[in-house]
Amino acid sequence: MEIVVAVKAVPDPETRLRPNASGTDVDPDGVKFLLSGYDESAVEQALLLKESVPGSKVRAVSFGPGPRTEEVLRASIALGCDSATWVELPAGTPADALLAARALAAALRNVPHELVIAGKQSGDDQAGIFPSALAELLGVADYGSVTNLRWDSAGSHLTLECNVEGGIEAMAAPLPALVALQQAWNDPRTAKLPNILKSRKAPIERVAWAKTLEALGGTAAARSVLTGFRLPAPRTGAKMIEYKTPQEAAGKLVQILREEAKVFP
Amino acid sequence: MVDFSLTPEEESLRDLARKFAKTEMAPHAAECDRIPRFPEEIYRKAWELGLMNLNVPSDYGGSGLALFPQCLIVEELARACGGMTTSIIANCLALEPLLLAGTPEQKERILPPFCGEYKLAAFCLTEASGGGSDPGALSTRATLEGDAYRLTGEKCFISNAPFASLFTVFATVDPAKRHKGISAFVVPRDAPGVSVGKEEEKMGHRASATSTVSFADVRIPVADRLGAEGDGFGLAMRTLDHTRTPIGALATGIAQAALDYAAEYSLKRQTFGKPIAEHQAIQFKLANMALELRAARLLTWYAAWSLDHGLRSTLDSAIAKCYASDAAMRITDEAIQVFGGYGYMKEYPVEKLLRDAKLTQIYEGSNEIQRMVIARELLKAYS
Repeated sequence: MEIVVAVKAVPDPETRLRPNASGTDVDPDGVKFLLSGYDESAVEQALLLKESVPGSKVRAVSFGPGPRTEEVLRASIALGCDSATWVELPAGTPADALLAARALAAALRNVPHELVIAGKQSGDDQAGIFPSALAELLGVADYGSVTNLRWDSAGSHLTLECNVEGGIEAMAAPLPALVALQQAWNDPRTAKLPNILKSRKAPIERVAWAKTLEALGGTAAARSVLTGFRLPAPRTGAKMIEYKTPQEAAGKLVQILREEAKVFP
Repeated sequence: MVDFSLTPEEESLRDLARKFAKTEMAPHAAECDRIPRFPEEIYRKAWELGLMNLNVPSDYGGSGLALFPQCLIVEELARACGGMTTSIIANCLALEPLLLAGTPEQKERILPPFCGEYKLAAFCLTEASGGGSDPGALSTRATLEGDAYRLTGEKCFISNAPFASLFTVFATVDPAKRHKGISAFVVPRDAPGVSVGKEEEKMGHRASATSTVSFADVRIPVADRLGAEGDGFGLAMRTLDHTRTPIGALATGIAQAALDYAAEYSLKRQTFGKPIAEHQAIQFKLANMALELRAARLLTWYAAWSLDHGLRSTLDSAIAKCYASDAAMRITDEAIQVFGGYGYMKEYPVEKLLRDAKLTQIYEGSNEIQRMVIARELLKAYS
């Protein structure tokens, strides 16, 4: 099976983000970028499928600026992907989910693929637009919020599960298909040290921005524009209760709930 | 041109170690210290990820890292637990003599099967009345009898010994020759006559296991001697030139953990109506901790860089190990002071850091020996 897994470089969730000087976006200075949690699950699933279906290959693809995009592709190779395609975006060029889908769809015209796997949303913008847009542009069926994915070799189709309200749906999905995965239902592996070293030397296929522009007929502008980024207001109103015994703490808490918060009459 | 930025490869290796330390080691550090417990499941995972035989070339099944990236990894691991880190890197120490003095035949025969599985090795130099600081006084004896040596004697304070399957042992073929009689051997745990003593009860590094190793008429084929007869002392010293630099990194990691805990606590703990971080007394402590930490890290980086570039090693590695471990003692001590009474309680993580830091002043050459080495190297330049 020719599997493509789409990944995105997103800020490390442990990084403290700051707005840039103009307040229009995140200041990228000092921000560490890595694979989104959704994408870690997607890569893991692609590798599990590869291991269960002999002869399969996994290619990681990503659209974005360097060096962060190249780095998450190398991280994907270190995890076990066989190859990688970096669809380059010049630094500072505005992009949105639809442009990412268009750019990757154009690049995938030249890449054999039967199954495309993606996180159901990115770890930073969390728009959730990209998988459906890419499926539409590729002209393949789109399955969203999938929590389990297996290959049924007898029936020659994928078996999918989705957690829905009050139950779990099961589906059979023939190839070609695009599957958008829910995060953390598998246990993403950690890249081994020798594979990290090898991934540094692995070739990464690069698609130049000019080539993407040409493939998109020159209309490669983002349709949505980021106009502002600000931090949420710091939380206030927390009150520490001083106490010596648990009974005293409970008594003071009830008093506050009754007299200040007016939760009880 | 001096350049302190890490390459993407070095960052990736550091990230791997950081993730492993945070997810696999840190959650068990307090428990393994308290009981104490040798967490083999964690060491096995470290081996699976390639974090164990860092200095062994990849052709022989190791990770094949230069000293600088080794130090980056060791510092990250030690932030989570100094004791576990000692056990994870003990193979590097034990295998270094084989890397330095082994013939291609010996390396090919011993290393791939050893590195290809989760296995531990132990470096056996120290003895109850000599060895560590005074190798000329070694009493473990290797007597040549035909095509094999007969090994007799006892080593003490041997890290990982209770769980090791391979020992590198320094013994004398002739005590009268002192340094010039010392020779090195590779000894499998299952050789008849090899036994390990009970695990020592230690102040710190309690996730690491330490014991004596005894040799009662152990037969060692001549083919398992490393280097020539009498080359063992020089080999031990060259080994330590390589491995004491990561001890600087290990001490730096413990110190970084101490600063992290102290700084975070100082922002939360209130006295006189404000966080103690706003009191100058605490600020000065944190600043001193930070500047000693920075110096420890940079001295370690410099020693590693120096060795990786084939430059002089003895002086730089001694300076790095000595300074970083002394700094770690001062920094962990101050972290406890920032925590006050809480810092003295075992329920809080900082007293363990001081106990763990203490060993870094003692093992792989006590800091007194390091200062002798530093002075000797220093005075060469003036005489």
